[in-house]
Amino acid sequence: MILHIYVFGSLCRGEVSRNSDVDLLALVDGFDSRFNPDSYSIYSYGRIKELWMEGNPFAWHLSKESCMIFSSDETDFIKELGKPSTYENCIRDCEKFRSVFLRGREQVIGGSASTIFELSTIFLSMRNIATCYSLGVLNVPCFSRDAALRLGSESAPIPLSAFQIFERSRILCTRGEGIALDSSEIAQVIPILDDLDVWMATLVAKARSNERIQLQN
Amino acid sequence: MSEFNSRIEAQRRIVQIVNSIPWLEELFGLSSKAIQRWIAANRVDPSSPIVQLIKRAAAELFFLADQSQDQISAEYISAAERVAEIASALELQMRF
Repeated sequence: MILHIYVFGSLCRGEVSRNSDVDLLALVDGFDSRFNPDSYSIYSYGRIKELWMEGNPFAWHLSKESCMIFSSDETDFIKELGKPSTYENCIRDCEKFRSVFLRGREQVIGGSASTIFELSTIFLSMRNIATCYSLGVLNVPCFSRDAALRLGSESAPIPLSAFQIFERSRILCTRGEGIALDSSEIAQVIPILDDLDVWMATLVAKARSNERIQLQN
Repeated sequence: MSEFNSRIEAQRRIVQIVNSIPWLEELFGLSSKAIQRWIAANRVDPSSPIVQLIKRAAAELFFLADQSQDQISAEYISAAERVAEIASALELQMRF
């Protein structure tokens, strides 16, 4: 059975912190019960090729920030795929993540009993919209967890302390680790949701404008 | 709605059903580690029907996450339907 294992993400950027985990990717040829989906991102070779063909941000992430740690056939599958196709779905993706944000915000403001899950989806939307924007508009892709804070003057207008509350929610949701948020922390981030809404709307508008300019040229 | 947004919506529905009753600690998400934490924090019997349904929903959602967005197969559709069925069964369990 063919198998490739890669490490990708923060470790490959040399970013190490107490919060950072080790992102592992397993490329498999069919179902392989040895890999726990909590510990690995598991993809079939066919799916990875599709991501490359569509210029998906995850393909760009892997092409720029992954290191092979095992190959069953002595080839480096990702390296051999070469450069992914041009990323052409920036507007669609930014709108998609904005809609994830809007649903999460609606739930938080509506007093959801699943606030941490909802704040986690907001963190996901912030990170992903920033990554898509950095790749599709700025042409300086940023795949970091805190991509939303790394867009220079276009970064999310959010204090670090509030950003860390969203990040903690994401870690609680995905890794089940950390101290649950208390009501004062939740109250701290609710007023920021409006600012985030404006920020995301601005990124979507700029992505549209950028595409218009490119089409004209 | 995109396939990505639909998956988040399906997760939301499962998490909301579980959190519709007050627990010592809410369910934060559908990763194995979040489910394990919820079981431990609330001293829920790991073999209970509620836990089994949550784990089945999580497994179906992980299956959906790895499928092609372009080739929505019959297998994909039936997995999405199974998540909806699990949500209904979970709702029923939560009433008792």
